[in-house]
Amino acid sequence: MWVCTGCSCLCDDVEIEGNNVKHACRIGAGIILNRSVARAEPLIEGRKTDMDSAIEKAVEILKDSKGVAIYGLNNSTLEAQRIAIKLAKKLSAYVDNGSKFEKLAEMILNKEIPSTTLENVKDYAYVIFYWGCDVHNSMPRHMSRYTYYPRGKKRQRGYEEDRFLVVVDVRRSHTAMLAKKNAVFIKTDDDRKLVREFVTALEGGIASGDVLRVVKELKKSDFNVIFGGEGLIKGLGNEFEEFVKLVNSVGYFIPADYRTNSMGFFKSIFEAGISKANFEDLLIDETIDTAIIVGDDPLNSMPFEIAKRLVKLKLIVIDPKVSFTSKIADVVIPSAISGVECGGKMLRSDFVEVELKPVFKSEWDDVEILKSILEGL
Amino acid sequence: MPSPMDIYKLLPKTNCKLCGEQTCMSFAFKLIRKEKKLEDCKPLFSPEFEEQRKKIEEMLKVVEKATETGLVVNEDLCIGCGNCVVVCPVHVYEDPEGAGSGFGVRLDNPILRVENGVVRVVDVGLCRRYKEKTICVACRENCPTSAIAFLEEL
Repeated sequence: MWVCTGCSCLCDDVEIEGNNVKHACRIGAGIILNRSVARAEPLIEGRKTDMDSAIEKAVEILKDSKGVAIYGLNNSTLEAQRIAIKLAKKLSAYVDNGSKFEKLAEMILNKEIPSTTLENVKDYAYVIFYWGCDVHNSMPRHMSRYTYYPRGKKRQRGYEEDRFLVVVDVRRSHTAMLAKKNAVFIKTDDDRKLVREFVTALEGGIASGDVLRVVKELKKSDFNVIFGGEGLIKGLGNEFEEFVKLVNSVGYFIPADYRTNSMGFFKSIFEAGISKANFEDLLIDETIDTAIIVGDDPLNSMPFEIAKRLVKLKLIVIDPKVSFTSKIADVVIPSAISGVECGGKMLRSDFVEVELKPVFKSEWDDVEILKSILEGL
Repeated sequence: MPSPMDIYKLLPKTNCKLCGEQTCMSFAFKLIRKEKKLEDCKPLFSPEFEEQRKKIEEMLKVVEKATETGLVVNEDLCIGCGNCVVVCPVHVYEDPEGAGSGFGVRLDNPILRVENGVVRVVDVGLCRRYKEKTICVACRENCPTSAIAFLEEL
């Protein structure tokens, strides 16, 4: 059995027999099958070198820098994230993982908003909301493994009778296409208005037909859950007062962040008492001159107008694979693929700790690389 | 899926009975049901029918890909979400602790299994469409990428 690190589902039922990966989705199987493709090599300014001199050069760059940001860390283990935070404290650097869930994660950790585990959802949940997320594509096994389709202790009759699916989105996504019998798809352009409509309907007020139908179903069970994605956070504009009211009367909330260990990142930074920066703002304001990118590819994922500013920075990339960002980096330090070549712990999207089970061994991993940089400083 | 009429139009239409059928129309029906092979129609393999034969072969490609129950899996479209494996009523009945509870299917010879990130048909022998001749479409209904289809709907 292998724990897949493709997304924050962290499926632990994957079997590997030689070159055959069973039960993992395309994202998870791809990690194993393409393990040896496009591996990174230690590079300084594009020239080949060895690990020690790459790390030395990285330390040298960091010593001369005036403002540092550490970006990424979503694919690193909790152990690596904690060392990265130590490094950030020493350098008084900014940290960011690119996720927008920090406010909701903080509220869950402070118990300001009720949350539960995915196992409980499988066993007890009746109405399941997917709000502003297309989990069928971002976390392919989310619905079949944990939420809508499997049968649980109190939900023995399957998805057609014992579950009610509500998908809220701006477009008819793949997840919305699954809303058929005993389900409803609500298309909305204004999430705040819809949240308000739900709150009034739950208090007995007037609302539109679909909302009233959902509210009728909500009253049938005392265990209902909302999975919120980045669409919800953007739609609400980071104002969660009304939404918290809704979650309190619906049941529970679980973030649907596909980034593998982003909940681990939030837990680590809140424990360390530092706040998350916004890497995009740092690039626009030009407050940093050096960035350490750990297991991420901002040049590929950020909008071009912002991503082009990366060229001006001194970049240290720690990544197991060649990426667009590593092509323009000053120093590239190859690392291990978390969960495949190095072990550790990660947090699932519902804050449950999962122990990874690596199938291969690697000489260097994120923990050791970050440790040697920290020692070098 | 091609209709028997589409195939009949391209056959020699001589009712020569060389294939063992009474008419070319009934040969067309049996061709789609995989009860007859194209090679049984001997006049079609003469040079004058070559163009028509190629057209029929092209039409029958879909039929060739289908399993005995008419299930066709397009692996290029599949993302391996496993919805089909978990919703399959036979899997739930035979393997309640595995596929029925959302885990990977634990049967040795299941109907469907996700392998290397895409769904594979392992053994259609268990399928309700095969044994009980029930029109069950649970796997196709829950595949939003349309990777699963049934022959009669193509």
